[in-house]
This record gives sequence, structure tokens and C-alpha cells, in this order.
Amino acid sequence: METKAAAVLNAVPPYGHLIASEKWRNSSLIQSLKGGGVKILFEKELGVADFHLPNKSCILYVSECDIIAGNSYKRKLVRYRNSSSSFQELVLVENTRLSEQYFSAVQKFVVFDLGLTLLPVSGQTEASQLITQIVHGGGGRENPFRRRTSSQLLDPLILALVQQVPGVGRVKALALLQHFSSIQKLCNAAPAQLEPIVGHAAAQQIHNFFHKATAAGT
Amino acid sequence: DSSVSKSSAPSGPVCILADSRCISSGVELMTTLRQRHAATVHVCSLDGSYFIVSNRMAVERHSQSDLAAMQNRKRLAERVNSLQGLFERVCLIVEKDRTKPGEVSRPFQRTRYYDSTVTALVRTGVRLLWSDGAEESAGLLADLARLEQRKGQGIAVPLEVKGQHSQQALQLFLSLPSVNYIHALSMSHNFRSIAQLINSSIEAIQKAGCMSQPRAEEIYRFLRYSCDSFLMNTSKNS
Repeated sequence: METKAAAVLNAVPPYGHLIASEKWRNSSLIQSLKGGGVKILFEKELGVADFHLPNKSCILYVSECDIIAGNSYKRKLVRYRNSSSSFQELVLVENTRLSEQYFSAVQKFVVFDLGLTLLPVSGQTEASQLITQIVHGGGGRENPFRRRTSSQLLDPLILALVQQVPGVGRVKALALLQHFSSIQKLCNAAPAQLEPIVGHAAAQQIHNFFHKATAAGT
Repeated sequence: DSSVSKSSAPSGPVCILADSRCISSGVELMTTLRQRHAATVHVCSLDGSYFIVSNRMAVERHSQSDLAAMQNRKRLAERVNSLQGLFERVCLIVEKDRTKPGEVSRPFQRTRYYDSTVTALVRTGVRLLWSDGAEESAGLLADLARLEQRKGQGIAVPLEVKGQHSQQALQLFLSLPSVNYIHALSMSHNFRSIAQLINSSIEAIQKAGCMSQPRAEEIYRFLRYSCDSFLMNTSKNS
């Protein structure tokens, strides 16, 4: 029995599907989800969460009523936070004319105290549009905000950094890097080693720049 | 959260760095931050119009219609990408559109496009906060800074560097890869010279720069990286 419950609690629906808690069966939210082409599986033992979505996220729905009625939704939120482990936990909050006066307090509790993600909706219609988007949006086109690990070439960055040294332009920077291939080698070169490349004055200046005390210790 | 009870004192005013471009769009917000929340707001020149509220968190303000406009997505994606490269945590405050006096306030029309943008942001790990306007956004910024301070991540170094050489050193630190303004500022205050940074261990860089270990490792490797002069010669004028 317990293992069965645990299996349900961690169930991830197939793509295009959503697992809904039984209590939502006759809601308008479910009706419009179906209208949007989302396939619904109902489940009696989903725990605190209202919906499980593909891409390992789940949703707890906080209605206008919950908010106005007071504190029991907070206990539910805490249980929600403590329950599912591997899911991205989203909280949909109805922000309506009646509940908007409480919204900022709800946000503080959900985001600052519990560290969950809050998405405001005006009601079940907007919620169904958003949920449809989450269900269908996962596949297909790539997320434009996914961080691309750019394998940036370091050489131009090093060249740019060396040009931050006062009196060193592109020509001198290139000449210096041909002799001292890394910033560390350049920094630790004695003025006498720099002199044949950039001349006496610049050699002193470069060495001083690296070794002169900054305002540290202030 | 075990990191909650860490060193830096939970009391005292919070420090927030703001890009100079935040002023023109946010006089009211800046005033509220300073007067109502007693925050120390220091204006500096960042690489975008955003706020830094801790050693690891950047916050950007966007209007709801900003997020809903299709032509903005590429720019938004670039901004978010670049911030995620510089900060461990990135937060967007989504603000209701302001109605000009005399204008009838129209309810915001939520589109599928808007929903997909919001969904994509959430999935990338960007934190979203919702605000009614400048005043509320100021409160959220102050709350974020306070929370980060409680977690031992608050900005604790002096916000200014004095003297020409220190200014130049700060600029040099800023040209290191993946280094944001608060890292560079911390290094300017914690290293006696540029050479000291260059010859420091990963641990020392991590500590002085108030940064994560992977970031410190990246800097350490960068400083020792051997340039290929062939590549340098072919690289176009930078």
C-alpha cells in the first residue's frame, strides 16, 4: 500500500498528458484543459499536489476562496513543499479583485519563506491556458532561455585584458603575449625582461601596474 | 536550509547596486528604496540595466507587456543568458503596466505567447516575482537583499574604490570572464595588488571574490591560459 502511494506520488505523466487529483474531475479547469487538447488521467492518491505534469513539474492550486478563508492553505503549502522531492514545484495563485489585497502576503510566503515558484492567474480559465502551455511547451521548440554553454575563445579575452594596462594598446599587447604567453607569465616578468619588447619606460610602467598596491585594506 | 545561520549580521541596512540606466526608469523606486526601506543604493555602471542585491543575485525589472511582446524575446533571452553566466541566481520582477493619468486602465490580455515566455523562464530556473508597481518592486528588492543577507550572501564590501590605480584595477578585474561587478569590487578590496590575484590559489580567489568555486577555478585557469599567437593574429580588431 505504501509503496503504491509512493509510486503515485512520483508518477510522471506521458507527454501531452496530465495527472489530476480526483477532486478536480468536474471542474471548469479540467473542461478547458480537455478543450486545449490535454489528456487527463485522474488519481485519488496524488498527495497534496493538484496536478502532475510531464517534464517533472507539479502544481498546487491556491484559489481565491483558499486565500480569503485564511490560514489552512498555508499548512497545505508547507506540506506541498516538504512532500515531493524531484519535481519542480509550482504554485498557481488566483489573483482576483477579491484576493488581490492578500496577494503580496501570499507571494512573500510562497516565494521568500518556502522558496517555491508562484504564477498568478485570474481564474481557472487562465490557469488552464497556462497549464496547457506547460504540458505542450516542453517538447518541440527549444527553450530560448536555456543557457548555451558558449565555448568562448579565450585568446581575444586575454588580449583585451592586457590592453587594460595603461599605456598598452593592441600592438604592444600582441608583442607582449608573443613572448609571455599567459597573463601570469606577463605579470611575473621582470622589467628587464619586458624592456626589449616595449622599451624602458613602458616596461617599468607595466611592471608597476601589476605590482602596485591597490586601495586594499581600506 | 543550513546556510541560513551564517556569519554576516542579519541586522543593519542592506546594500543594493543599481545600474545607472535604472535611474531614468525608476526614480520612484530608488527613492522608496532609500527612504522607506533604508537601503544603501549605490549607482554604478553595469553591463545592463539591473540591480545586484547580493554576492550572487541579480534582479531585473520588466513590465508585463515587455514579456508579452514577441519582438522582445530575443533580447530578453540574451539578457537572461548573460545574467545567468554572471550570477548564481537571477530574478525577474514582472511589473504591471503603468497607466498614464487620464488613461483608462485596460486589463492585461494574457496571450499564449506570454504564457510560453513565463513557462520557459521558470523552466530555466529564473525566479519570478510579481509586482503592482514601482513601490511594491522596491519592497521586493529590499526583501530579496535582506533574505540574501540572512543567508550570509549580503554585499559587505565598501561600494566604492578610491584612487586612479584602484579604479583601473577594478576595470581589469571586470574584464575577467564570468566576473560580475560585485566580484570585481570584492577582489579590488581584498587583494593588495593585481599581482596578488594573479598568483593566488583557487581557494584564495574564491574567498576574496566572494564567489563560487567553479567561477574561481575559471579565473585561475584563465590567468594561466597560454595564448596561441596564431589565433591572436587572425582575430579581427577587437
